Amino acid sequence: MPYALTITHLYPDYLNLYGDTGNLIVLRRRCQWMGIDCTVKPLTMEEVAQSGQTDFYFMGGGQDMDQVAIVNDFHQLKHEAIQADTEAGVVFLGVCGGYQLMGNTFLMGNGEETQGLGIINVSTRAPSTDVKQRCIGNLVVEINSAVYAEMQTIYATPRKIPRTLVGFENHSGQTYLGNGVEPLAKTIAGFGNNATAEYEGARYKNVFGSYMHGSLLPKNPHFADYLIGLALRRKYADVNLTLPTLTDTEEFAAHEFVVQRYR
Amino acid sequence: MNQLLLIPIIAFAKLLTLALRVSGRGSGTALPGYLVGRYFPFVLKALVSQIPVVVAITGTNGKTTSQTMLSAVLDQAPQAKVLRNKAGANLSQGILSELLKQSNAVGRLDFTHAVLEVEEATLPRIARLIKPNIIAVTNLYRDQLDAYGEIDRTEKLIRDGIAQCPTAAVVVNGDDPRTSRLTQGLDNATYFMSLAPEYARFLPYEGKLNSRIPGSQGLEATNIHINEDLTTDFSVQGQINHETVHLPQAKTVSPGFFHVYNALTAIAIANLLGIDGATAIAGLKTFKPAFGRGEILTRQQGDKQVNYRLLLVKNPASFSLSLELLRNIPALKLILAINDNTADGKDVSWLWDSELERLNQANIDWILCTGIRAKDMAVRLKYALDVPPGPIPAEESIRQIIDLSFKEAGSGDTVFVLPTYTAMLEFRKLMGKTLDVV
Ligand SMILES: [Zn+2]
Repeated sequence: MPYALTITHLYPDYLNLYGDTGNLIVLRRRCQWMGIDCTVKPLTMEEVAQSGQTDFYFMGGGQDMDQVAIVNDFHQLKHEAIQADTEAGVVFLGVCGGYQLMGNTFLMGNGEETQGLGIINVSTRAPSTDVKQRCIGNLVVEINSAVYAEMQTIYATPRKIPRTLVGFENHSGQTYLGNGVEPLAKTIAGFGNNATAEYEGARYKNVFGSYMHGSLLPKNPHFADYLIGLALRRKYADVNLTLPTLTDTEEFAAHEFVVQRYR
Repeated sequence: MNQLLLIPIIAFAKLLTLALRVSGRGSGTALPGYLVGRYFPFVLKALVSQIPVVVAITGTNGKTTSQTMLSAVLDQAPQAKVLRNKAGANLSQGILSELLKQSNAVGRLDFTHAVLEVEEATLPRIARLIKPNIIAVTNLYRDQLDAYGEIDRTEKLIRDGIAQCPTAAVVVNGDDPRTSRLTQGLDNATYFMSLAPEYARFLPYEGKLNSRIPGSQGLEATNIHINEDLTTDFSVQGQINHETVHLPQAKTVSPGFFHVYNALTAIAIANLLGIDGATAIAGLKTFKPAFGRGEILTRQQGDKQVNYRLLLVKNPASFSLSLELLRNIPALKLILAINDNTADGKDVSWLWDSELERLNQANIDWILCTGIRAKDMAVRLKYALDVPPGPIPAEESIRQIIDLSFKEAGSGDTVFVLPTYTAMLEFRKLMGKTLDVV
């Protein structure tokens, strides 16, 4: 039976900074190459979210004005459904602004903290004076061991996958993880969540947050497959579901280049 | 201010420029401007105010081309003596350095027009000093993502700059939603440059295409035809200074839709300065594209000759539009050269905002990726192409890619090269071209 995957792209017309749509290009193509029937649905301002309609949410980052504008809309029209879905294990990937917004507080460009969506227990604050004003540059991180172990179960045939993720960060907000949230990875080069913690990103259930642009998924195909796998496992209620292996020569070559050059 | 005060400062700057040149520490472009600007901030104003007409051109893409086109047009007028800053020297120190260089020993400038390319964030800082008669804004795109962060901020900075010059005429891209609203709420006379909607809708603007308010002034390009040699024919019509403009046979040798906007901008400004349309069109024909903007370099070995046509890419918009141009090329041979140095933007995420998918309509012979981020480019292509043309060569060394492409191409072939800024400089250098053109 061919699998099908529905991906919901949140506020594509508002949150579309720094190549974040590259993540969707990659999800769509990889599904196509693996024979998974993939549908991407935009969900934007003034549209009501219904729970149980999607397998995968993606939310990118936006400019300050846009981020502030969507918070109200999110609370009124999306919050309930997305919280119910993510509590039930639906995959959610938030990058940069999309990651910050999922937390309790996030940061606007003027340095003001604003209330976030409160779906995962992280908080983003203004950098203190002893911290660099902006975390910017190439980012190389080591995936946390639980995630990496699970990642290796995704493929039908065991394969060698990098322990690293690579990307480019560009944020001034400093993110701190609260109880119940695990870091996605440990920083090798660059900053990640904040200038002092040495960790990057967050995981709560199947909600993943990351500061990685670059874009994130093109040079980290193992992470892309992992998210697709998690989404399908939940949808088809089959914890043993696995994916075929694609030839990722170009992807891993680009990945390895960044690891070697910028670590 | 007292003209006498200028003399020692000018002498100092000229001496410094000379010393830098003799000691081989660069061509002396920025440092004199930096020092003088810092310690004698009144000098910029004192120098510019001697030039009767000042035009400031800003915006993300096309500053240099618009400036060069306008200079070519003004050169047609017999009395005109035009001062312009060098491509890229568009911060206040670069502009000041050029003025210092061009002034005589007592600080006199003998020019009728200054046509200045001004970096976006610099405009509000120098607008009051240079008091431009005309401000042109080519377009506003996200550019070099890590340089400023936010395009909203840039838009605001330019508006602040314009607001400081209430009597300046403003020439904007009338299709770009960001530039076309710049003078909303301001009293400046505004002229909108636009393409007929059937062309404008293909352009990657951010947000809804602006639609011209009936009765507004400006120029529109129609019947745009891009020829196989990438020159562009078009017609111009509209209203400037409440007079009708109709030019059925305009041409630009620079390739592509962006350059039609640049040409319209040059024609409109010329018109505002009292130069008629026919003269403007004649001037445009003498215009030679600046390096990297459609320039052709040739490599010869024995009987074999291969042409390389350079189209600079610096952000998603210019990348997408260059690809659009290449759709009509038969048996396209293409080199994509991507660096991630500061001048290119260190974050290569923008490759994913560029519409490489447009290549699916092109007739591709082969594609080679090169530059520091060649491998990122190859991944982007792999995901863009519906039918991947087999493994895509990704070789960091631009020198090796030039050799390989020369081998692959037939004699007389044209290879299209889409480089980022520093990749372009390197490519030209390897082809035996030095930086100083213009
Ligand atoms: Zn970011």
